[in-house]
Amino acid sequence: MNQRILAAFWLLAAPALFGGDGQWVLGQSTLSYHVSHPLHESVGVSHQARGKGVCHAGQCDFLIAAPVKSFDSNDSNRDLHMLQVTRGAQFPLVTVRVVVPETELTAATIQCDLEIQFAGQTAHYKQVPFQREAHGNEIRITGTIPTTISDFKIDPPSLLTMPIKNDIPVRVDMTWRPQ
Amino acid sequence: MLRNTFGNRLGRARRLVVIFLFATLAPFLAAQTAGTGTLTGKVLDASGAPVANAKVTAVSADTGQAQTVTTGVDGVYRLALPPGNYGVKFEAAGFVTVEISSETVTASGTSVQDGNLAAYAQSNQQTTAKSPEKPTEPSLNDLGFPPDQTAGNAAAQARLDKRSHMLKIHQRLGLVTAGALVATLVLSNGAAGRNSTASGRELHAVVGGVTAGLYMTTAYFAIFAPKVAGTKTRGSIRLHKALAGIHGPGMILTPILGVLAYDQRNSGQKVHGIASAHGAVATVTGIAYGAAMLSVVFKF
Repeated sequence: MNQRILAAFWLLAAPALFGGDGQWVLGQSTLSYHVSHPLHESVGVSHQARGKGVCHAGQCDFLIAAPVKSFDSNDSNRDLHMLQVTRGAQFPLVTVRVVVPETELTAATIQCDLEIQFAGQTAHYKQVPFQREAHGNEIRITGTIPTTISDFKIDPPSLLTMPIKNDIPVRVDMTWRPQ
Repeated sequence: MLRNTFGNRLGRARRLVVIFLFATLAPFLAAQTAGTGTLTGKVLDASGAPVANAKVTAVSADTGQAQTVTTGVDGVYRLALPPGNYGVKFEAAGFVTVEISSETVTASGTSVQDGNLAAYAQSNQQTTAKSPEKPTEPSLNDLGFPPDQTAGNAAAQARLDKRSHMLKIHQRLGLVTAGALVATLVLSNGAAGRNSTASGRELHAVVGGVTAGLYMTTAYFAIFAPKVAGTKTRGSIRLHKALAGIHGPGMILTPILGVLAYDQRNSGQKVHGIASAHGAVATVTGIAYGAAMLSVVFKF
């Protein structure tokens, strides 16, 4: 019985929470990349992402973008080096496109196909899981994108001739609200 | 021919973006009809190669009239247009369509702004690329980034590349210098104290001289690496630079004091005066140098 009530709630609430022919705008966001080097690890964080989502005809298209130079690792030298190897002056934005069937948006875990443009390259990631939490009319999405530097043909930055590891997972924490 | 030109690129349609160097030129051509401007430019692909037979359409924002032209083998197009504002669309098989919402054509005195136009093209490459199959999907234009955050800057990238290249050399030479520095310190046993010999002093002086030379070369690549305007120095690099304020003067002073000490010893004197500080200055310099290396390796 409770499950039915819950299902009915989601059915009715879904369009209001994350669906319908509506538009969504990214509110607060934290994107952080994690770099592993044999000698230490570092994290670069950006809070300057902007995003928009458009739901139409049963499909939702989301676009998120952040300036590459907005990622801050608390070390100006490292940030400039990352900006260089990722060709951030030439390709100043990292963009993520997500297409999700509207029916999946009410699930606690959303499996997303991503298209990421970064460093002049495009990479696709299939079925990346994101956690979804509803807070009032806002939706919080969290998850980790399993990016690697080789996906974007980036020469691995090195320190004292030792290169970083290939994996640079990007942690995502975004809050969306209806526009 | 057209299929050959674009056929191989169809599979990469979403990866390739039409890059165009968009030059607005509205020369008042006395020989031509008065009041007509020219919209011209070049359509390039992501690799910088010209795109032939690309369709360029200019639609007047005032009258709605459209004019279409295709690019030549060099990717160049030219449209004769009445003055006014135009929306311009670039289309080519296998490429993402690119649209510019407003471009002004004037009938008098407009100059070509290559530098800005390159940036403008980069901006629009990223901000207005739309997939025609998905008219509802959001575009970068919707996100409202200011142009300076979306415009690519090849010159700035080249500056960053040069900076990284020089700092990479700085790092590698720094490691070599560290090895030479250790060797000099080890050889100091044969140059001073009870075990001091003339040959020991010679060897120490030679290796020390090489170390100083390596050090200066290492420093050169850091000092003259291009600076990035507006960057506030933060993180462990601050300590690294602060320590350079110690080992830098130390690396100049140590050889000078070493020469004085060398001359005194070789003339049978006991090392005295300011030359007696050679060992202490060298030790402080070596410690500061080692700490500077560690400062960029480990987080503090």
